[in-house]
Amino acid sequence: MFSVILQQGINGIVLGSLYVLVALGLTLIYGILVQINFAHADIVTLGAFVAYFVAQTLTGNYVVGIAVALIMGGALGWLINAAVFAPLRRHGSELLPLIATIGVSIMLQNAMLLLFGPIPYAFNTPYSSKVIHIGPLFFTLQNLFIILVSTTTIVLLYAFMKFTFLGKALRAVSQDRETAALMGINPNFLIMLTFIIASALAGMSGALLGPVLVLTPFAGTSVIVKAFAIVIIGGFGNIEGTIIAGLIVGLIESYTTQFLDPGLIDIAVFALLLVMLAIRPTGLIAEKHAENV
Amino acid sequence: MQPSLRIPLLLACVTGSVLAAATSLRAADNTIKIGALLPISGPGSYFGVQDKQGVDLALDQLNKTGVNGHKFDIHYEDSACSPLPATQAAKRLLDQYQPEVVIGEECSDATLAVMPLMDQAKIPLLNAGSSSIKITDPGNPYTFRIMPNEVMQGVDLATNAYKRLNARTAVLLHENTNAGIGNAKVFADTFEKLGGKILEDIGFGRDVNDFTAIATRIGGLGNVDAIPTYTLEGQGLKITEALTQAGIVKGGGGKAIQLGAIWLPFGFEQKAGKAAIGYIRIVQFDPTDQRPAVRDFVKNFKTKFNSDPTHLNAHAYDQIMLIADVIKRGAKDAQSIRDGLAATKDFSGVTGSVEFDKTNQNIKMDTIHYMETKPDLSWESLKWN
Repeated sequence: MFSVILQQGINGIVLGSLYVLVALGLTLIYGILVQINFAHADIVTLGAFVAYFVAQTLTGNYVVGIAVALIMGGALGWLINAAVFAPLRRHGSELLPLIATIGVSIMLQNAMLLLFGPIPYAFNTPYSSKVIHIGPLFFTLQNLFIILVSTTTIVLLYAFMKFTFLGKALRAVSQDRETAALMGINPNFLIMLTFIIASALAGMSGALLGPVLVLTPFAGTSVIVKAFAIVIIGGFGNIEGTIIAGLIVGLIESYTTQFLDPGLIDIAVFALLLVMLAIRPTGLIAEKHAENV
Repeated sequence: MQPSLRIPLLLACVTGSVLAAATSLRAADNTIKIGALLPISGPGSYFGVQDKQGVDLALDQLNKTGVNGHKFDIHYEDSACSPLPATQAAKRLLDQYQPEVVIGEECSDATLAVMPLMDQAKIPLLNAGSSSIKITDPGNPYTFRIMPNEVMQGVDLATNAYKRLNARTAVLLHENTNAGIGNAKVFADTFEKLGGKILEDIGFGRDVNDFTAIATRIGGLGNVDAIPTYTLEGQGLKITEALTQAGIVKGGGGKAIQLGAIWLPFGFEQKAGKAAIGYIRIVQFDPTDQRPAVRDFVKNFKTKFNSDPTHLNAHAYDQIMLIADVIKRGAKDAQSIRDGLAATKDFSGVTGSVEFDKTNQNIKMDTIHYMETKPDLSWESLKWN
């Protein structure tokens, strides 16, 4: 039984790492813009499709697929911000960009439906079929790869936000956009940068999630609801909180499956969300920090 | 123009228009309008895409000459394999298109949701893909089902698992829908009655993507002989992969045999790869069947779509052909189509034969075919029926 408990721990950490990657982009945009981006899920899905076609039909190289998905995500983030969100922000309404994210989401979903069709794709990578057995424990090379890439990304993002000038400028904009502008920081440039980074993360997480997800044009939707829950549990806009919350949700899913019933997963996750909102509405870590990002 | 000519000319124009409209109405009267409630979006959309191919092929053939002076027209609505969108789609279909007969839905929850609307509108609903027993038990005068229901499939599958595969333990895997729960229950009841033991009954939502945790739980149960699985294609793929990675099923070096019902399309095994080896499942169509109708269907399908037909293509084709058969027997409106369907005896389709009982359930079992995925990912027809 101990090995099963340990195995479910591994399963939970792998799943949690994937959720963290998706949630990081969401929390980044919320931290800087105080805006929820519903189109994030669809950039994740598009990242998965891009990686699929690059890896399976064009180059045969999964790592190249991930890189192209990351670049595509960043480029799409820039385009969406420039074409949709930036003009709407000039109107000064908070509601318009929020509704626009829903519009962009529906547009992307239908475009993918047209391009890729509704039938599920089987995204197999060279790592997804290689199973490593250590005693009674098992995991795929893909699982290891996911944890490795997630950890590296989190460390790089954390270092960028804490130690670089641009990262510090982003944190300044998240605290007070007007004062940051008075200090010579260009908020519009930084907002664009935020969209690019968050969407690049979404594209990359899609490439990693692709082999795990039921890959259809609606794939991201099934993950994004959990990602929203993770962002709220972690503290909207808080990177450390998001990481911890993502891993907690992954572990809750695994252990609920083992000891209760997989049908209760959503109830368990959203019960945690309600408890957090009731007793600690600022999230797991937000209260300890002056700023979120 | 002279004023004296204006009135006759105007009358001639009006008369001409009325005659044209009347002719058009007569033409419309000769057209049998078929409504199609199919999942075109969402996780069950592969049903809709493949059903549409079968329908298109049948209509191409029928509309070349017509049947009893009738041509056929079809209008599709996306019912998304889910009760709410299905209900909305059915209302649109009934209000705007006003069909004489409707085909669909594929998913039981969606079919159960639209049945009262069809009953109220007195429009026959011909179903091919939903297995829940609730659809025909206690029965509804306007709903007909040509595929075997969950009891017919489940009893057969459990009996074969116990008697032919010598399975004594099983774990049930199913989505938490009417069809998923119902199919699993029938299997469990039959299997236990025969002396088998159900080790676990594991249900899950349609939003679950990663089945490693479920595979781990099954792996911790010890000796599992059979894993009947009731889910749509996308989740089915992920389950099979996870069971393989955990070394539980044959594809992963284990001994458990995954069993499935009429849920997965052909081509599943190519997507799942070696994970699908040893998977035994029911399909509603055997393309190796040597009956001339089946050979013609396979040939014509290949010509039109440049691919082999699946059982989803086949049962959609049969739905249209059955409607045409009823029209051939003299039906021309919704009520006579309903009555004609109810009177159907020994209709021979490409999936098998059709004869409805008093609950409007097809009682013929020759629509059940078993197949097993071989190591080269081809499949073998098991000829168990």
